[in-house]
Amino acid sequence: MHSYVSRRRILGALGLAAGAVGGGALTGCSTSRPATRGPVKLRMLTWTSNERHLAVFNRIGAAYLEQHKDKVSEVVFDGVVDGTYLKALTTQIGGGDVPDLAWTFEGMAAQFIDSGVFANLTPTLTAVPDYHVDDLVDGAMDLWRKDGDIYAYPFSNSPLGIYANLDVIKAAKLPSPRDLLASGEWTWDKLMEMAAAIGKQADRAGFQSAADPAKDWNSALGPIWLSWNARPWTADGRTCTFAAPEMVTFLEWFHRQIFVAGAMPQPGQQFDFAAGQVGFRMAQLSMSAGLKDSFEWDFLPMPAGPSGTVPVVGQGAVGVVAQGRNPEIAADFLAYFTNKENSALLAAFFPPPRKSLLAVEALSTAAPALTSAQIQGTVIDQAVKAVTKVGHAKLSELDDPIRAGLDALWHKDADVRRVLETLTAAVQKIIDE
Amino acid sequence: MRSRAARIDAVWGVAMAAPAVLGVTVLGLVPFGFVIWYSLHDWAPLAGRFTWVGGANFVRLLNDDVMWGSLLTTLQFTGMLVVINIGLALVLALLLNQRFRGAVAFRAFFFSPVVVSSVAWVLIWSYLVAANGGINGVLATWGIEGPNWLRDPQWALLTVVVIQVFKGVGMNMVLFLAALQGVPAELKEAARVDGASPARSLVSITLPMITPTILMVIMITTIGSLDVFVPIQVLTQGGPGRSTTVISYLLYQTAFLQQRFGYASAIGVILFLVSLLFAALQWGSRKRWVHDEV
Amino acid sequence: MVSHTDGKRHRRNQMLTRAGLYALLAVLAVPFVYPTLWMLVSGFKPIDEIFRVPPTLLPQQWTLDGVSKVFTVTPFARQYFNSLYLSVVITVGTVAVGALAGYAFARIRFPGANFLFLVLISGIMIPGEVTIIPIFRWVSQLHLLDNHLPLIVLQVFGPGCVVSVFIFRQFFLSLPVELEEAARLDGLGRLGIFLRISFPLSGPAIAAVAIMKFLSAFNMYFEPLILLRSPELFPVGLGLTGFQDSYSEPLYNTQIAATALTVVPILVVFLFAQRQFVEGLARTGLKG
Repeated sequence: MHSYVSRRRILGALGLAAGAVGGGALTGCSTSRPATRGPVKLRMLTWTSNERHLAVFNRIGAAYLEQHKDKVSEVVFDGVVDGTYLKALTTQIGGGDVPDLAWTFEGMAAQFIDSGVFANLTPTLTAVPDYHVDDLVDGAMDLWRKDGDIYAYPFSNSPLGIYANLDVIKAAKLPSPRDLLASGEWTWDKLMEMAAAIGKQADRAGFQSAADPAKDWNSALGPIWLSWNARPWTADGRTCTFAAPEMVTFLEWFHRQIFVAGAMPQPGQQFDFAAGQVGFRMAQLSMSAGLKDSFEWDFLPMPAGPSGTVPVVGQGAVGVVAQGRNPEIAADFLAYFTNKENSALLAAFFPPPRKSLLAVEALSTAAPALTSAQIQGTVIDQAVKAVTKVGHAKLSELDDPIRAGLDALWHKDADVRRVLETLTAAVQKIIDE
Repeated sequence: MRSRAARIDAVWGVAMAAPAVLGVTVLGLVPFGFVIWYSLHDWAPLAGRFTWVGGANFVRLLNDDVMWGSLLTTLQFTGMLVVINIGLALVLALLLNQRFRGAVAFRAFFFSPVVVSSVAWVLIWSYLVAANGGINGVLATWGIEGPNWLRDPQWALLTVVVIQVFKGVGMNMVLFLAALQGVPAELKEAARVDGASPARSLVSITLPMITPTILMVIMITTIGSLDVFVPIQVLTQGGPGRSTTVISYLLYQTAFLQQRFGYASAIGVILFLVSLLFAALQWGSRKRWVHDEV
Repeated sequence: MVSHTDGKRHRRNQMLTRAGLYALLAVLAVPFVYPTLWMLVSGFKPIDEIFRVPPTLLPQQWTLDGVSKVFTVTPFARQYFNSLYLSVVITVGTVAVGALAGYAFARIRFPGANFLFLVLISGIMIPGEVTIIPIFRWVSQLHLLDNHLPLIVLQVFGPGCVVSVFIFRQFFLSLPVELEEAARLDGLGRLGIFLRISFPLSGPAIAAVAIMKFLSAFNMYFEPLILLRSPELFPVGLGLTGFQDSYSEPLYNTQIAATALTVVPILVVFLFAQRQFVEGLARTGLKG
């Protein structure tokens, strides 16, 4: 064992350490600039980091930059992973680094607009020539208007439909869903009946909703209960109607489909449609990208419930963050980003809310795996009359209590009415606060 | 009267401790001070609202059933995790402390989950513990009907604990291994010569000698378990019901899903106090069972 | 002298115990190894096979689809490099800070030592999720967003270094004081003793801290998520989430392939390093 480590070795080690730390600091490059009076940098927060999306965004951004060099120095698109989007947005705003533009989805529309997150866009949109505000589908804009003003642009309107695994259906000797649709028998009851027959087989699930009801109640139940004319609260959001007759009827039906009919997987069971194990799956366009041709499948519009057929669309919207540093310039960019020409570019990936662009040719790039019949019937025809899932100005506060409250439903012996009455009391309390 | 040498020594002491102490103060305690400040406000970043409410958040916390429930859940979670983790780590370290062919390979096996990212680990396990997943499939071949691991309120918390334990126990095992190998061979030899059985030697010699490490590992593991929320976010979202809503997850939910930063900061203060309590109890107990503690 | 038959029985018992040990270890190892193995292998599966029920271990259909996208879709190589160099820098820094402070608290008497040690301990208990907000504000005001420096400083000097202070303190306490006293007689000052005697002997502590810190720095996710903006600066844990298809849905097979790529080298390094670490301590014959 050495008594002393030589001085040279020590200095060498210290130098190495210092160099490492210092060098590490220098290697990291900074892209933020100090705020100046001159041309500003615009930043849009998104939940996509797909390179093709970003390519289109950057193209639009570059074109805008060309025309507005005096006002804008840079247009940047920040992609955050979807699951962390809200967290990132909130932290950025809370930490003082406010993005100029941000995305949101239809569930948060009421909350974002009511609490003033988004700035009013009407003055800018109507002032910009050739914007064609009248080209916008009214139904799509509903959520994003308040007192006649527009607060965000729903650049993505993706209707929900039913993917059907035709191989599995045929193997169970069940009728073709297209035929049922043509003869007017395409109802939820009929679908569940077929699903129950499929679910009886090992390693098979009959029907899967758009999400796991225990994890995301609005995505799983929201699109369906509208066909029962059931809603969790009144249109003004002031009274909770979870225990109203329509909702109780719907949830009792849904509960039966899981625990009595076996049409849907039991809680905790996992199946994957793309792997060919599921008969029917409610989802949007996006799921078609993951489907190979290992089995034959179809994409159909939503079936009819007791109150008829209610097509439902999921929306992604972009708005100007009111707390941002340059809302006027940001609004001007948003108008450019979503005008008719650029909407056509965006339509390659995101079904637009513009009547002129709701055509098969425009959308077939967005969904290369879908046939024209599917695009026309399931996407376009539904988009014009679709509604969105219900939202609420206090949705972020209600979301988890509702999840926890509905949890009691996912057991065989649940007393649906009792669970809903308890839930209504809890929800009403939060609404009234 | 301190001699000059002692004073110079003291200066060196302060200087050497300074980077860590200053760092923790500036980067940990000062921000925490801000957090306490935030907890006295109603803060909704998206809405741009930041208003003083004094102690209202804390009063509300005290009356919040969800908060109390999550405190209890946290105690259960941490208790189970620490006991299972430390116990398993000790057992593994003792088994692998011997020289035999393949000992090194086994050490790597048990350590490998530590290297995997938390999200990947939890995602893989979600498929194993599904009601129709791998584990229940294996149990079925033995004629046992496995419970609904993540959806049964009786099992959900334990399932998350076990998944988390498998992820982290390898690190503790390595720390215990190092400690065990540091037990002087002469002591064990002397015990053997005296006729002590291996079991006796273990309990009376080996274990007491590594108690300082055991204490340190217990404290580190406890603090680590109070921070855990990725498995809960991915696997259960705090459910079924609220049976897996531990304080750290409640904090995440309140801050980022419900957008109530002020209230979340108050929860953060509570989380700090809980950690402090655990640490104080463990550190305070050291005179009773830790060998040679300075 | 042990008789011949006793010797045979003894050896047979030993073999049975050995066999039992192997069996026990093998069973225990399953929940550790199976998921990691699944992950390593699933990168080669087509995307629709990954989540099939019942899950398959070996791919029924081997494909390079997921693996091939790893380097084309995001700046993965760059992100991997980021993680590596960040981890090395942070580890070196933490060892330095931890060893210095650990030594001071173990060996030196200075005013306020107990109080300052308590300050350190309280540091680990601070919940990082909320303190990130004020830190984020500072970083933003200093215009250091999208820069690696805050990440490094936060990890090396922040509450994350306290565990290493603990470990070093623990270790230095167990070193024989005579060594240092001898050095003092030779005229070495406190710093000299540290640099020439105590620190060079602290190999096992260095190894323990290095392993823990390297791993936690390599898998950093939360702070980079908040403090970084450009994908070229992301560490690999954050970069993994960037593998998305044209609907922003995760490309699971690519994500898993990328995860496997990050894990394998570290496992290999660990295999070599742990021999040094675990047995290094035994060589010094010191208690833990």
